Amino acid sequence: MTYAIETEGLTKVFRKNWSKTEFRAVDGISLRVEPGTTFGLLGPNGAGKTTFVKMLLSCSHPTAGFAKVFGQDTQTRQAREPIGYLPENHRFPTYMTGVGMLDFYGALSGMDSDSRKRRIPELLELVGLGQWGSTRIGKYSKGMLQRVGLAQALIHEPRLLVLDEPSDGVDPVGRRQIRDILEALEKKGVTIFLNSHLLVEVETFCRDVAIIHKGKVALQGAVSDLTAGSGYKVEAENVPDNLAAELHATAKTHSHNNGSYQVLFDNRESANRAIDLLRAQQCPIEKFGRVNSTLEEVFIRTVESK
Amino acid sequence: MSNKKVIQTLALVVDTFREAMARKIIWGFFGCSTALILFFLLLVKIDVVQGAIATMSLFGKTGQAQDMSKMVTTVHAVISNLLYGFGMLLAILASAGLIPTIFEPGRIELLLSKPVSRTHILLGRYLGNLLVIAANIFYPVIAVWLIFGIKTGVWTPGFLYSSLLTVFMFGVYLSIIVIVGVQWESAVVATMITFAVIVISIILNFQSGLERLLTSDWSRDVVRVLYYILPKGVDIGKMMTNIIKGQPIDSWMPFWSTALFGLCCLGGGLYIFEKKNY
Repeated sequence: MTYAIETEGLTKVFRKNWSKTEFRAVDGISLRVEPGTTFGLLGPNGAGKTTFVKMLLSCSHPTAGFAKVFGQDTQTRQAREPIGYLPENHRFPTYMTGVGMLDFYGALSGMDSDSRKRRIPELLELVGLGQWGSTRIGKYSKGMLQRVGLAQALIHEPRLLVLDEPSDGVDPVGRRQIRDILEALEKKGVTIFLNSHLLVEVETFCRDVAIIHKGKVALQGAVSDLTAGSGYKVEAENVPDNLAAELHATAKTHSHNNGSYQVLFDNRESANRAIDLLRAQQCPIEKFGRVNSTLEEVFIRTVESK
Repeated sequence: MSNKKVIQTLALVVDTFREAMARKIIWGFFGCSTALILFFLLLVKIDVVQGAIATMSLFGKTGQAQDMSKMVTTVHAVISNLLYGFGMLLAILASAGLIPTIFEPGRIELLLSKPVSRTHILLGRYLGNLLVIAANIFYPVIAVWLIFGIKTGVWTPGFLYSSLLTVFMFGVYLSIIVIVGVQWESAVVATMITFAVIVISIILNFQSGLERLLTSDWSRDVVRVLYYILPKGVDIGKMMTNIIKGQPIDSWMPFWSTALFGLCCLGGGLYIFEKKNY
């Protein structure tokens, strides 16, 4: 199978010129991203995410290992043809207009003049900047820069979109608009590789994630698997003390809150037995359901345990 | 060169022009050139009506048609040297930032993420920068050559050839900006080092006088080696004057050794750029 992104033992060591000290920013990362997937890359500051992305784009050369994009070594020019990239702290030339900037990056992507002329107005409309194409980028707000940056990444209809904090500085409406654009692209089969600090955004949008910590992959998998049930919660009212003590014996945790009794079980069987007991004592059951972890909880647990 | 590469090269060149236009110093250069052209346009026009067809006056001096050729050649030489000296200074100041700015964080990553090789990016930028300055040099040279040619009937091609030498010399200085810019990513450092090389090469031009001042053999050898290695701006300037005056060139060594220096700097810049991490 040809992966959208495939890395094997990818390592980047930075050495200081005048001393023997070295820093392993990325330490043997092996990762596979299937085509058409939405993949989130997470990690605390300094974990090595940016260096990893830069090696995918050949901005940085690996010390060891390799990275491939759709089967092509990232050190080759051809590997970058299917990639659209939006960097985090981008600095677009302020002397250009929105149209001029898209035209420049479109031409660098190898698009001919006719294709660029057709594509640019479409993209400006798509990102909500239809009226701003002839305005100099120096006058754009942070949110507008993100939008035109996204348009720039989409100009040559890439098969792989690498986005670094795409909704940074964008208002909630714009954020929703960006998410809609990305969802439409996902439906078209575009692979989306998202590097974001907004865990809620990654959780709602990405199918798979990898958490990088200290240059290594600390955790990787499908979001649904990683956040999957850490237990079953039952919430009831007017629970007599003797029953509460009985339930407590088999529960993971329990708590009282304003007359409501909440109890968490490891498995479904224990939870069902508790419901039977509560019904037998005619205690009103307020809530019952599987408890999922948020991606944030998974992230913090992973980072703190390493 | 494939169609894609042509599109990419054009994009890099046009982008350099756009960025140059956004800098006021290029407009200053253009303004100076226009003022120079207008000065000669108006001056020649006024003096022509004062004389007969066989005799004309320039700068208030009347001469025979035979002297006219000498007078025009002298004016050409003055303008060439003005462009070669003052123009070069403006050109270096105007374009010193054009190469290092592409290495700014947030901009270089975007350029490198495109399907363009690093060598192509840097050479495209170099070519764009060279063309910006070439346009600014050819503009006054061609205009002044036409003004004097039409008004006096003296059409010496040497003046046009001399502008090629000015562009060549700028190309060599630009290669210093490239290697320094790639290494230190600073327009200020690139400008300082380029000017330092120019000053040192001017001092080294007095090689024989310098050698008399030095007491040890090794220091004389150092001066001699440096003279041959560094660009020979003064010698190229002399070659330029000879070309305008239609005089023979004694030696082409200053030209090829300067070209070699430029190629080495450009090659070094490309090598460092290829290896660098951003």
